[in-house]
Amino acid sequence: MAPELALGGLQQWLQAVIVHPGAVEEALAARPAASLVPPGRTDRVVLPSARLTAPERVGVYQGMYLARMREALESDYPGLARFLGLAGWERLVTAYVQSHPSRSHTLNVLGRHLPDFVRTALVRRPAFCRDLARLEWAVTEVFDAPETPPLTEAALAAVAPGDWERARLVPVAALRLVVLEHDAGAHLDALREGRRRPPVRRRRSRVVVYRRNYAVFRREQTAAAFALLEELGKGLTVGQALARAVGSHGARLGADEAFRLFHDWAAMGLFQAIELAPPTGARARARRSPTPGRRRRMSAVDQRPAEMR
Amino acid sequence: MNRFGLADLGIGIGLRTTHFGEILAGEPAVDWFEVLSENFTDTGGRPLHVLDRVAERYPVALHGVSLSIGSTDPLDRAYLRKLKTLAGRTRARWVSDHLCWTGVLGKNTHDLLPLPYDEATLRHVARRVKQVQDELERPLVLENPSTYLAFARSTMPEWEFLARLCDDSGCGLLLDVNNIYVSGFNHGFDPRQYVDAIPADRVVQVHLAGHTNHGTHILDTHDGPAIEAVWDLYARLCARTGPVSTLFEWDASIPPLADVLAEAEKARPLRSAASATGT
Repeated sequence: MAPELALGGLQQWLQAVIVHPGAVEEALAARPAASLVPPGRTDRVVLPSARLTAPERVGVYQGMYLARMREALESDYPGLARFLGLAGWERLVTAYVQSHPSRSHTLNVLGRHLPDFVRTALVRRPAFCRDLARLEWAVTEVFDAPETPPLTEAALAAVAPGDWERARLVPVAALRLVVLEHDAGAHLDALREGRRRPPVRRRRSRVVVYRRNYAVFRREQTAAAFALLEELGKGLTVGQALARAVGSHGARLGADEAFRLFHDWAAMGLFQAIELAPPTGARARARRSPTPGRRRRMSAVDQRPAEMR
Repeated sequence: MNRFGLADLGIGIGLRTTHFGEILAGEPAVDWFEVLSENFTDTGGRPLHVLDRVAERYPVALHGVSLSIGSTDPLDRAYLRKLKTLAGRTRARWVSDHLCWTGVLGKNTHDLLPLPYDEATLRHVARRVKQVQDELERPLVLENPSTYLAFARSTMPEWEFLARLCDDSGCGLLLDVNNIYVSGFNHGFDPRQYVDAIPADRVVQVHLAGHTNHGTHILDTHDGPAIEAVWDLYARLCARTGPVSTLFEWDASIPPLADVLAEAEKARPLRSAASATGT
């Protein structure tokens, strides 16, 4: 019976009541709480105070749970919360934390499943909400990503023209690439600038979310540039990435344009290192290094750029 | 001086995002900062950058909310390793958390949930405190939480539980004077009795904060100044402990840094008075 519950059972009971989305009376009467403590016997487990009954005292904790989850998720999804309005946001959070309760010591990752969850949730404009959530989660991930010193212009200049084809540009950790079908960025801009939110508009955009000097930025890219950046992010060499990006998108991307992009991206701090893949074929035999097959790596903090020449 | 030899750091405040700019731009007149551990264990961005700069200039103590020392779930070893790394990175003077549990069955409610105060719970918590101290290689400092319910199975008051836990596990105490007041109102005990019964040589740090009185119960909201009765309890405690590291918590409706510092500074004459009386 209730008073003999071991500590583990007592904790399971209280947690089950606290995370229940209904009124505290419903929570006490629902399984699994009711199977641990019969609803009419709450006061055998929890003492009433001079001013509150035992269920009311449990209700204090229950009321704070959802408020805390809403606050945590709103800090990651301010745009989505604003779009849905108070009632819509509360409904979404209540449903979400039932499906994806926190299982981490940190609230930082509580919202990681929300972009997928919102697609099938009972919200208005779910496809737009998913785009908005994906963009906001990318911002959160970039904000929290490890700091990696970005590549310098000098490091780019140190790559011999003949080596570019086999160069790999290693992205920084604080970089995410997002393809959107709606103009979600305009909603975040309006939120940041304190303007009324714009109407929902379908528009495909390709957005780079990145961090520079600990501030997070968003910037749209052309289809060809975005494709090239995606391929580079997979670890392909510049030569391979250019071929794939042009091949898959039929985009025109000449050498001059590619180099302009590399320099723009380096200025944005998108890369942390250049690695040179081993030379191949006849060209490799002509250029063979003393340590064949060993990848050389130069990062922003490398003090020996001459080795790359 | 506490029995651990941990120095009195003076008057501190919590490091909060809203004050990052002011703190980096100047040299705020504060003796030390308390850092909410979980805000920094899993980020590599601006928060950690700011913390590094702060730790270069001020003493820092880590204060956690997810240790879940009273849970019947296994201890989260990965979390403990992150905590230890962060403590080393910031040269933290001590690491504290709460006498509570935050979840079971792998879930985390992120609330400081109450424990029944009985012999079985005491054994359970003391065993886990020792395990944490072994992992962190330093004494754990535990804070008394604000609680809104009490269990029928409790056989001792919270102050007795804490005193015995200190003896059994070797832990230190972070005594939150506001929490004593809040729990005293919610459970109907005299907070002065609590303060008088605490083993003074175990007290490493004190918390002060504001709360919200709903008439039927008080919530520990950290959203304003402390009330006079809480300051009176603080003075009473200082008379027993002598000057002790003191921190003012302000976590909601956070005002400009100067206002938080002004509220924290109210503790200084009370600490001085304790010192003057030879405690």
